[in-house]
Amino acid sequence: MAGKLSQQIKAEPNLTPILDMVFQLITFFMLVINFKSAEIDFSLKLPVVGSARPVDSGGHIGLLVLNIDSKGNLRTSRSVTDIDNFLKIQAQATMLAARLTPDDLEHGIELPTTVVIRADRDTPFGKVNRVIKACQDNGFRSFALKARVNKDG
Amino acid sequence: MRRRRKRHNPSEVELNLAAMLDMAFQLLTFFILTFRPPPLEGQISLRLPPPQPISGSKTGQQLGDDQNNTNPLKNLDTLTISVFADPKTGEVVSLGVGGPSQSEAQPIGGLAALEGRLKELFADPGNPFEQVIIQVSESCRYDELMKIVDICTRQKLPNGKPLSKLSFVDLPSG
Repeated sequence: MAGKLSQQIKAEPNLTPILDMVFQLITFFMLVINFKSAEIDFSLKLPVVGSARPVDSGGHIGLLVLNIDSKGNLRTSRSVTDIDNFLKIQAQATMLAARLTPDDLEHGIELPTTVVIRADRDTPFGKVNRVIKACQDNGFRSFALKARVNKDG
Repeated sequence: MRRRRKRHNPSEVELNLAAMLDMAFQLLTFFILTFRPPPLEGQISLRLPPPQPISGSKTGQQLGDDQNNTNPLKNLDTLTISVFADPKTGEVVSLGVGGPSQSEAQPIGGLAALEGRLKELFADPGNPFEQVIIQVSESCRYDELMKIVDICTRQKLPNGKPLSKLSFVDLPSG
């Protein structure tokens, strides 16, 4: 008698629709996730420039993102990094990577990587210029200065 | 009492979806927690060669695009913009176009006047300027500088291409 009762109250919900919905949500988040945003320091307040255009590298150009806080420190992974050492390593890595491609690079020729500078709007020019000079000394010539397109963005 | 088991049809397979649902929810949680919409950012693309002084063209060489010229920056005529900033606030207090020092630079009233002056200079078909050196006070705030960069990159060269060769230098004292 007791077994019969337990059989009567046993409920087996159909999990298929909820599983479908969850998979659709996972697909959405997988498509929109961007792991490159890990190298962006969201705490920086960028300057507002109306004519700044969205990045369109077509995936062919290597980008080196440099976050510079208002005190002129280079921030990578939310910690302060020595600019000269960091750029030297990045330049060597770019040279090695470029040598593997058919367009061989010789030492002293400008590097194909674009340096993306994300500097806080309150950073004094002297500090930003020190970073730019260090990049130029290591062979970087192509730069992209990041800015917000509008005040609300 | 003997328990009666429900007899299943041997051809019917019942998958346990609960385990799959658990895993799917864990994945969903991970993606929701790590999701951060990218900020709406733009960029100003520039070629920033190391600043080099201005020099006139040598005999037989054309400005800028001479094939025999191994250094394309030499023999370009360079326009100098001087930006003087308040040492305390970092705001731009005066602007000058032309000379390398404050006394030689032609004073400009403000950003709108600078844009007008640059438009005037670059609209001239005989304009020899292909690069701009912006000399800036060390204390100048980055957002103030970006306003000037913005104005410069909006200028068009006589060949129709936008001006993209800029260099930044510290303003010489005096």
